[in-house]
Amino acid sequence: MTLFSARGLTAGYGPLKVLEGIDLEVNEGEIVVMLGANGAGKTTTMRAISGVIARHGEITFDGHNIQKVGPDAIVRAGIAQVPQGRGTFPELSVEDNLRAGAYVRRDGSGAVQADIDKWFELFPRLAERRSQRAGSLSGGEQQMLAIARALMSRPRLLLCDEPSMGLAPMITQELFQMIERLNRDEGLSVLLVEQNANLAMHMASRVYLLETGRIVASGTAAEIGADDTIRKAYLGF
Amino acid sequence: MALFLQRLVDGLSEGSIYALLALGLVIIYRGTGHLNFAQGEMALFSTYAVYQFGEWGVPIGLAVLMGMVVGFVLGAGTEVVLVRPISRKSPFAVFIVTIGLFQFLNWLDGALWGGQQLPSSAMGSTQGKFPSLFPNNPTDYFNVFGAAIKWQSFWMLVLVLVIGGGLYLMFNYTKLGLAMRAVASNSESSKLVGIRTGTVLMVSWGIAAAVGALGGVVYAGLTTNVNQSLMFSVFIYASAAATLGGFDSPGGAVVGGLAIGVIQNLVAGYADEWVGQQMKVGVAFLVILAVLLLRPAGLFGTSKVERV
Repeated sequence: MTLFSARGLTAGYGPLKVLEGIDLEVNEGEIVVMLGANGAGKTTTMRAISGVIARHGEITFDGHNIQKVGPDAIVRAGIAQVPQGRGTFPELSVEDNLRAGAYVRRDGSGAVQADIDKWFELFPRLAERRSQRAGSLSGGEQQMLAIARALMSRPRLLLCDEPSMGLAPMITQELFQMIERLNRDEGLSVLLVEQNANLAMHMASRVYLLETGRIVASGTAAEIGADDTIRKAYLGF
Repeated sequence: MALFLQRLVDGLSEGSIYALLALGLVIIYRGTGHLNFAQGEMALFSTYAVYQFGEWGVPIGLAVLMGMVVGFVLGAGTEVVLVRPISRKSPFAVFIVTIGLFQFLNWLDGALWGGQQLPSSAMGSTQGKFPSLFPNNPTDYFNVFGAAIKWQSFWMLVLVLVIGGGLYLMFNYTKLGLAMRAVASNSESSKLVGIRTGTVLMVSWGIAAAVGALGGVVYAGLTTNVNQSLMFSVFIYASAAATLGGFDSPGGAVVGGLAIGVIQNLVAGYADEWVGQQMKVGVAFLVILAVLLLRPAGLFGTSKVERV
């Protein structure tokens, strides 16, 4: 069942058009990976979906048109983003970062605290640093915090913008395992953009290839991996 | 001892006014990185509004609350109408706009309430003196160790501690406070967690101006000379207070404000021959200069350090 779909999505910055009209779909329970080089428009896609930049096209989530609504309504609808470069609140404590992630929830501070405790159990390193400023965490810890913060809004679709950026390969692997586990155990659908394709391909249900604002190929991970030209250009083997 | 105590308390009560205005400066600076040059004039406009409510027979307590509402609307409106559209084009231009607003509001005060000291019988004032929130007759004082402490000074100090404490609780224990801290820390991420950053900034400006309005009306009760230039020097002292305390620290604004008030009164009191009342403002400049040289983030401000 289609959870999220965008048809003819265009977006850009002022006169600069970055996305030239892309079609994109995420089905319930899928991990969809979007690959693309630097400047292909991956981050712009994510920001457009979250509504923090102006966008055009037909965008639906869970059967509702969300094209005209603001970023707060998009979070409330169930789409949360882990932005590029982690985007934590560096001056706020780890716990306040998580609390801010639950900003749109209306189910009371008890339920929010229960979720905070749940993520602390899953990420013990964050629990140890709960009252530290987020800016003092290591890159990997900040990435975990950014993911936990996004999950605090109880999303159905998680957008991850290059989570591996600046992380050691071991940490990246750990992170991707975490995302897979959330997908499997919690039924979380994921749209993940990556420049570094190898690890991401392993867990992808489907893959899109983005090149200068256009989708140039799409298919299952196996199909994309089987294409020689694509493999050489994006996977490097 | 009595004289020292007297000067200390005078300093604290004047300092509480600087603290209230500095709180406003800090709230806006934290949220947007802007220095609101019109902070003092917004407070003066609200103070004049309180006077006007008094003319219409509104009791002082209610008039002050209404004045704070006027301040809130003025601050919030400024953010929506002037600051937001302009900061999108150029953040620096916002500073120039607040200078323009400073001049406009000062002109408006004159246009609405005349240029002379208020209350003036020429303007047909029915109030004998400028309305004061706290008792400020010459007989309203109590004695401590031989020093005559004005009740007004006492209540002003209580007021600033209550407001400072209230803002502290709001910042740290309410959803609005969390949103304000989040927006100050990372605006884009705030949007991504569903915070309406525009609304938060609007409310921040409103709260800042409402707190400033309180500072203005309390100052009007302290001084007997309420005119259009009332807030000029107060704004400079408040800026010094915010610099000393740290421009992103509300607690620092309170401590900074009280410290500036005390330093200024002690220096002017004990070094009267070569500093004197007229040069008090120079003390504030010296403090600003020393802080910027020795500890640019202020006493309680955070210098931004971040691991990546």
